[in-house]
Formats: sequence, C-alpha cells, structure tokens
Amino acid sequence: MLLSHNSLGWKLKYSLYVTSGAIAAFLVLPIIFIVFLSFGSSQWLIFPPPAWTLKWYIQFFNNPEWIDAAITSLEVACLTSIIATLIAMPASFALVRGRFKGRDYLYSFFTLPMMIPVVIIAVALYSVFLTLGLTGTMFAFVVSHIIVALPFAIISIINSLRLFDKSIEDAAVICGASRLQAIFKVTFPLIKPGIVSGALFAFLASWDEVVISVMMASPDLQTLPVKMWSTLRQDLTPVIAVASTALIILSLFIMIIASFVRKQSNRH
Amino acid sequence: MFMAFSIKKWRVGMLLLPILVFLCSFFIIPLVGLLLHSITDPKFGMQNFAQLLATTTYAKVLYNTFLVSILVTSISLLLGFPLAWCITLVPKGWGRILLNIILLSMWTSLLARTYSWLVLLQSSGVINKILMALGIIDQPIEMVHNMTGVIIGMSYIMIPFIVLPLQACMSAIDPMVLQAASICGASAKTIFFRVFLPLCKPGLFSGGLMVFVMSLGYYITPALLGGVNDMMLPEFIIEQVQNFLNWGMASASAVVLVIITMAMFYVYLKVQTDSPVSSNTGA
Repeated sequence: MLLSHNSLGWKLKYSLYVTSGAIAAFLVLPIIFIVFLSFGSSQWLIFPPPAWTLKWYIQFFNNPEWIDAAITSLEVACLTSIIATLIAMPASFALVRGRFKGRDYLYSFFTLPMMIPVVIIAVALYSVFLTLGLTGTMFAFVVSHIIVALPFAIISIINSLRLFDKSIEDAAVICGASRLQAIFKVTFPLIKPGIVSGALFAFLASWDEVVISVMMASPDLQTLPVKMWSTLRQDLTPVIAVASTALIILSLFIMIIASFVRKQSNRH
Repeated sequence: MFMAFSIKKWRVGMLLLPILVFLCSFFIIPLVGLLLHSITDPKFGMQNFAQLLATTTYAKVLYNTFLVSILVTSISLLLGFPLAWCITLVPKGWGRILLNIILLSMWTSLLARTYSWLVLLQSSGVINKILMALGIIDQPIEMVHNMTGVIIGMSYIMIPFIVLPLQACMSAIDPMVLQAASICGASAKTIFFRVFLPLCKPGLFSGGLMVFVMSLGYYITPALLGGVNDMMLPEFIIEQVQNFLNWGMASASAVVLVIITMAMFYVYLKVQTDSPVSSNTGA
C-alpha cells in the first residue's frame, strides 16, 4: 500500500507530494535563478533586479579572456571526448567478450579514477607535469581530462554491449561475413547509441572539470571553469552569471541529445 | 557455448593495451609517485605523518571533513528519501519529469550551481530577504563563508546521488509484499518501519556511502562557500601544494584521504554483489 498511488492514505500522499515538490524546486530553482541573474542590471546581484539588461553579455563577449577560455574549453572537451571513446571502445569489447579471469578487477581498475578524489588526481598529475614542464599546455589538459572522462565512456559502452544480443553478430558470421565485418557492419551500428552517449558524458565531464584544470592552467591557457574560478575568488560580478548560463545551456543541450539518442536506441 | 567465436587471448591483450598504457602512465605512476612523496620528501622516513599527528590544524581539518561529510550525507538522505519515494509512486509522466529535474541538476555545471548559492546566501541575498520578510529573523544572518554555507551547498549537490540509486531500489520492491503486510493487519506506520524501510536499505546504503565518500574528497564547494576556519582535507592538500610547496605534508594527507576512500569503496563493493561485466555474457 505504501507503493501504490491509489491506496496510499490521502494525508500521507499529499504531504509526500508537497515535500517532494519543494525538494524538486530546491534542486531546480538555483539553476533558473542564475539565468535570470545574468540579465539583471544590478552589479551587486540584487534580486529581483531593478532593470533588465544585456550589458553583462556584451562584457563577456567583448573580453577576449572569457572568449579564449570558452574556446579552449570546447577544444579540450572535444579532444577528450574523442580520445576517451577511442580508448574505451576496445577495452569495453575485451571486458564484455573476453573470457579471462579478473575481468571484474579490471573493470574496477578502469573506473577507479571515478572513485579516487579528484583533488588527489589533480595534485598527482600536477607534480608530474610540473617536473616535465608541461603545465599550461593543451597536452596536460587533454590527458588529465581523459582520466576523469574514461569511466563515463567505459560504463556507457559496456552497458550497451552487455544488452546487445551477440547472436545477431554470430548470425552475420554464419551467413559468411568475417568476424571483423560483422562487428563493424552489425554490432557497431546497433551499439552506436551507447558509444554516442558515452562520448557525450565524456564531453560533459571534461567541460565541467574544475579542480584538475585549475592545477593545469597557466595565465596563457585556461578553460572556462578556470576563468570562472579565478574571477569568483575576487568578486561575484554578474559576468560569471553569463558564463554560468553558457555552461548550463551547453549541458542542457547535450542532455537533450543524449536522451534523444537513448530514445532512438529503444526503437531497435 | 560459442567458444569458437569468443575473442582469443592475444586479441584481448591488444584491445586492452591502449587503456592499460594510458592509465598506467598518466594515472597509476603519478598517483604512486605522489603517495611516495609522503615518506621520501624531504628525506626518507615517517616524519611527515609524525608532523601531521602533531599539528592541531590537521586534527581540526580532519574533524571538519568528517563532520561536514556526516551532516551532508544525513541531510541528503533525509531529503532524497521522500523524493525517491514520490518518483516511484506517482504516475509515469510525473516521475519522468522529476527524474529529469534530478538529471538536470546533476549535469549542470558545479561551478554555476555553487555560484548560485554564493549569491543566494549572501547577506543581501534572496534567502536572507525572504527570511526577513517572513519575520523569522530581524537582520541578515551569515550563511556563506562558514560551515552553514558548505553544508547547504554540498547537500544540494549530493541529493541526486541519493535519489538515483534509492529510486532504482524502491522501484524493484514488489508492492504486493507491502499489501501482504497490510492484509495481515499491520498499520501504515508498522509497514513503513518494519517492511518498507528495510527493503530500501540497499539503496539507502549505497547512495549514502557514495555521498559520504564524495563529500570527503570535495574541494570546489567548500573552498567557495566555506570560511577560513572550516577547511576540509582536500583544501588542506591543495594549500600545502600551492601556498607552502610542502609536498611531503600534502602527500601524507593525500595518503590518509586515499586510504579512507578506498576502505569505504571496499565496503561498498562487498555489499554490492552483482558483477558489472560478467552476468549477462554466460561466462
């Protein structure tokens, strides 16, 4: 009765709905708040703002530091997403299809970067890249982001491979295709949604990464979150609200694509 | 059964080579290197750990870290539970909307959300204004740059990590079991505490443990919303590296953080019994 919509006592039911509605509002309102804030005219972020303006957007787009940071962010996230997916694909294949001992341990190892606190990874890589003189390079950004992004790609691809019915691939082989042909022409197209969403999550993981990026950045090369971080430490200027809005919109966009991809895969 | 078609050993090796090379050179070696600093920097020995134990700042930092993690975990469990329950209970369409809200919150930039709380909680911020308008307080209260801010901001971020596993666990419960309890004459309260809650335990446990471990290692939100006096372990580590260039101390505290985290995850994996890779393949 506690899990059936119709037989739950109305008092309990409505108090549960009201509480949950409030918690859901608690989760979503701060995000909407930021978007409104970016259009407010008050320098001191008074809300509701005395007037609406686009001046923070103009400031954002006229400042090469913000624009460069945003472009760097996009470049790093794209490279990270592509390379992480390319590394994760064969590994996922081996884990799901291979017959060898210790697969579970390998899986845990591959997802370990998700469990180790990101601060530790940041400091460890910083120490190495500092000695090699690589901090503040594209290489440092991409390599460190791949480590954080890999588990997302692996988990997503492994899940879709596990759900894939291997007998379809076997059927193609019985019909005369070579194993590789069958994998590329039958398996890949069918698990593509898993690969794409893995790539998207890898992109998001990189796009939103702050701690490692702060350690890897130099004054000449920084990502958008790093620029936000260093600005935030000085003041709360509404330009940060503009940058936040940019981050929110991109995340939202990617989430919509991801759910679209998932829907497509359900149709198969 | 299709033994002839499963991948040969050397091919498995080839497929795994890129990821193994990558993770070993850019993850394991740096990590081990960092942890080794704790006993080699500036000279070989346990002096860094001795120094850690001797400093009162460090004890305070550890205390803060655990206090904040425990409070954040409890608050997110308390707030996540009704939400997960509601999602399981309401008609599908509403459930999907609520789940999308949770995913949106989870995937929205961490910095953007923390910035939002920084603005909302400041003394001239919306929250203070509302509280004053309602007559609950007479003058603005300090809610940022102290532990209150850290706990609000972090609980906000952690709730989705409770709701998702808990909701999965709840939707797997057979409503008939609860019905049976009801037919046998148990009151709603009894069913809740004696049947429903125990059945939710795996979800509560895995969500709670996950959030606790994540909180221990959280840096961004405490650094922005917290004050100087409530530094947590990750901030301490970064400070040792960036401000004092004290790699020995940073590394010794990193060892502590890694050991606690790994111990927690060991418990987590022990509790979670099903294998992530092998169950469906008939191996």
